Amino acid sequence: MTFLIISQILNGLGLGMLYALVGVGLTLILGVLNIPNFAHGVLYALGAYFAYTIASLTGSFYIAILIAPLLVVLVGFLLESKGVRRLYSAHHDYQLLFLFACALIIQEIIIIIWGTVGFSLLPPPNLSGAIDFGIIIYPKYRLALIAFTIFIISMLFLFFTKTNYGAILRAGIENRDMVKVLGININKVFLFTFGLGSYLAGLAGALATPIFGLTPSMGMDILPICFVIVVIAGLGSIPGAVIAGILIGLSQGAATIWYPEATNVVVYLMMGLTIIFRPQGLFGTR
Amino acid sequence: MLILSKNTLKMFFITFFLSLFSFASIAKDTVNILGIYPFSGPYADSGELQAKGALVALEEVGYKINGKKIKYITRDSETKASVAARRVQEAIDSEKIDFVVGPWSSGVALAITEVAKKNKVMYYFSGGTEDISGKKCHKYAFMWAANAWTAMDANLKIFKKAHPNAKKIYLFVVDYAFGWTLQKYVENLAGKYGLEVVGVDRHPLGHREYSTFITKAMSKKPDAIYMINFGLDAISAVRQMHNFGFTPKKPVVMSWSSGMEELIQLDPAMRSNLIVGTNYYSSIDTPENKAFVKAYKKKTNGIPPGYAPGAGYGLMKMVLLGMKKSGSTDPKEVIKTLEGMKGKAFFGDFEINPNNHQTIRPFFVLKTKPESEMKNKYDFADIVAVSSTEQPKNMNMCKNIGNF
Amino acid sequence: MKKYYTYIALLIFLILGPFLFSHATISEIIVYSIVAVATNIMLGYTGLLSFGQAMFFGTGAYISGLILKAGLPIFIAIPVSTISTFILASIVGYFCVKRTGLYFICLSFAFNQMLYFIAYVWVDVTGGEDGLVAVPRPEFLTNSLSLYIFITLIFLICLFALRRVVSSPLGLVFQLIRENPSRASSIGYNVKFFKMISFVIASTFTGLAGSLYVMIHSMAPIDQIHWLKSGDIIFMTLFGGVGHFLGPILGVIGYIYLSDTLSIIWARWPLLMGLLFALVVLYFRGGIAELIENLIKKYKIFKKGLDDEKSS
Repeated sequence: MTFLIISQILNGLGLGMLYALVGVGLTLILGVLNIPNFAHGVLYALGAYFAYTIASLTGSFYIAILIAPLLVVLVGFLLESKGVRRLYSAHHDYQLLFLFACALIIQEIIIIIWGTVGFSLLPPPNLSGAIDFGIIIYPKYRLALIAFTIFIISMLFLFFTKTNYGAILRAGIENRDMVKVLGININKVFLFTFGLGSYLAGLAGALATPIFGLTPSMGMDILPICFVIVVIAGLGSIPGAVIAGILIGLSQGAATIWYPEATNVVVYLMMGLTIIFRPQGLFGTR
Repeated sequence: MLILSKNTLKMFFITFFLSLFSFASIAKDTVNILGIYPFSGPYADSGELQAKGALVALEEVGYKINGKKIKYITRDSETKASVAARRVQEAIDSEKIDFVVGPWSSGVALAITEVAKKNKVMYYFSGGTEDISGKKCHKYAFMWAANAWTAMDANLKIFKKAHPNAKKIYLFVVDYAFGWTLQKYVENLAGKYGLEVVGVDRHPLGHREYSTFITKAMSKKPDAIYMINFGLDAISAVRQMHNFGFTPKKPVVMSWSSGMEELIQLDPAMRSNLIVGTNYYSSIDTPENKAFVKAYKKKTNGIPPGYAPGAGYGLMKMVLLGMKKSGSTDPKEVIKTLEGMKGKAFFGDFEINPNNHQTIRPFFVLKTKPESEMKNKYDFADIVAVSSTEQPKNMNMCKNIGNF
Repeated sequence: MKKYYTYIALLIFLILGPFLFSHATISEIIVYSIVAVATNIMLGYTGLLSFGQAMFFGTGAYISGLILKAGLPIFIAIPVSTISTFILASIVGYFCVKRTGLYFICLSFAFNQMLYFIAYVWVDVTGGEDGLVAVPRPEFLTNSLSLYIFITLIFLICLFALRRVVSSPLGLVFQLIRENPSRASSIGYNVKFFKMISFVIASTFTGLAGSLYVMIHSMAPIDQIHWLKSGDIIFMTLFGGVGHFLGPILGVIGYIYLSDTLSIIWARWPLLMGLLFALVVLYFRGGIAELIENLIKKYKIFKKGLDDEKSS
């Protein structure tokens, strides 16, 4: 039984950290730009597909993880500057709808470029296989994933708490107009935030490939979970998104031990409970 | 002030009357077949392949049967039952369709079979539900894929043959009606082949994260994991089982697989030590199949067909066979001819049970081979054996096929 | 004066409908027209964007389907499913309007997906992935043309009711909330309460439409409660024209016609629909209705120019 519980905690943690990455990205865009990014899922998918192509071309998984999210950032920049920004004067619902339309378009472009059939991507050779700890056997790649995502999230926290630009972003989440009044170029802030959110989504997609593989619908599939994370965490709370992501991952792990059919339902159950008992989210401020 | 000028009114009524003719009946010198496949949405990959397989069958007869031209149209099911039903109904109404084949998803098929029944058009389906030739059977619907019981029986029998020392199996079951039915069959049949089910876990359809299920399974130390799921669910599970090191040490059974289409999405290392149960594989040794594979490969730059194109081809072949043998293109005559028909098809010997319209036919069980033994880049597996054992009558849920 | 043009055009369309489309398709168009016009009360008039309309459509369909399967008449099925949807809309609406507009969208989306999963998992009631099939049609509606006429009559009743809402002081409050919510609240209107009313009205009529839908193909499939269907509904409403009461109907016709036609031509047709959606959002926010209105205006100016020339 200990074997089971330890593995499930690790499984839940690994999954949860991936959720946390996408969740933080979505929360950032939501908090600073005030838009639910309906294209967040396809940015995640693009990260995976770019990683697949780069890994196939260069033969190196690590180069793929490095470059793929940057390409996704470029796509994010494109979406924000050419589309979202143009709609700034319109009701901000239109920015959301634009991103939704883009999600539909990008999903089809993925199919046009990479085809309808899914792919697999192997983890790098030195991270293949599993380690035998005695009480449990656990895949190397998943352990590396947990360590790496913890590293990324820590870097993010340092960025937000210790740097000026991070402070500007946090201020932007709290009170956008104040930031404008302080003379900061809000357009640059938006572009940067959207880029950062895209980076995190793309990185998560790339990191997920050895575990989940690639398929064109992977973007739309992960979108509902992203929104559940945001609802549970509370709008604009980045630590909240991390914790909510991990919480969801762990509860799915727990469900598997006792009631596997409910692995999806448990997510929505948690969301329902949050909405009823703490509607502003676990860490929400507004 | 007139709302519309006299001229506009005239134009309007002319257009109105002209449009009435779009629904006038076309002289029936063609036989009209509809292929409804998922060209977009999830399963777009399968839809595309099914459609290609169907084309080979039509090209073989030069789009002619019994002296009539075949008018073949396709529609996108989008794997949405509401959309598929609308498009099938619209095709029946405006294109005078008499025969429908497809789609991929059984959920959509269950909707289409009702439309077929209501409109009295013949419907041939292949897929993961027993209901077409079971609970929801009717005089106009036929099932091409082997019965689920036949498939599970084949899998267990032949798995034991390939791994005689295996005793304990752990089941992964996709959590919906079809999965539960297959689970029941496996639990009933396992003992017959000296196998014991030591654990069962159900996972939601569309699930991608199997680490939790795999670690749970591994704690029970089974000799094999037997999977009752398919498509991306099965592929994700196999991929992760490899991550965890379960394979290649121990075998995994993919009991209701598309064969080629699923294996091609796996990396060679992930493909090791799999037992794959499928309704079609390209190495089936009949002259008709060899011809099919050759014609199909021309359309795909050399990629051999798997279950999706095999089914697309098979469904169309059956419809054409019924027409040829009956000498008619009237659905009722074709149906009467197919009922009870025995013959040899590209996939082997078959018989169509007139009581439930189920095709009694072989189910193929394959074993994947290591990369070193692959003769070409698509030579993923070899057929170990086949089995056609029919489902026991008392288990079949089609109690009354009804009338025309 | 202009109003009468649009209603006459609508009546002509309703009469021609069964000849231009197959009966099942035109019935579906009318059903979704109820949804789109009702959704516009929320979207166009009140300025509320919800990604959850599918959950009400689906609920209406399931409940109506279950009642019909139990052998009860349609005249019980429609009211019961409408009232049930009303209750669901009140509960969901209550939670959704509590927080800011942003949260409203996220919550409606998340609620929708929650209900989708309930429908998916509760196989005994909804049929799960296979949907609720073999729903019997009432005897007097087995003929597909008579079903169409029945649905159209209900549609006209719904239009009448929604028109009354929109022309009433309530409709004006909705529009005020859209234009200037802080002003509305400073005048003394409880903005949250009125947003909820708008939401409930839109969702209840959507549920009613769902209860009719189930009769068209005798089924309530799982895809009509999925959040992507909510996206389709928003697209139809926007595409048709949120600035006009009847505008969304054009969006329904356009969407169904385009998706059925484009899907025959290119397997990647959702790309075109996505592009169309993006174009509408960027440049044609008034939808087809506004386009037509602009064309008529230009024509009138042109004609006036000609008349002026003639008289001079």
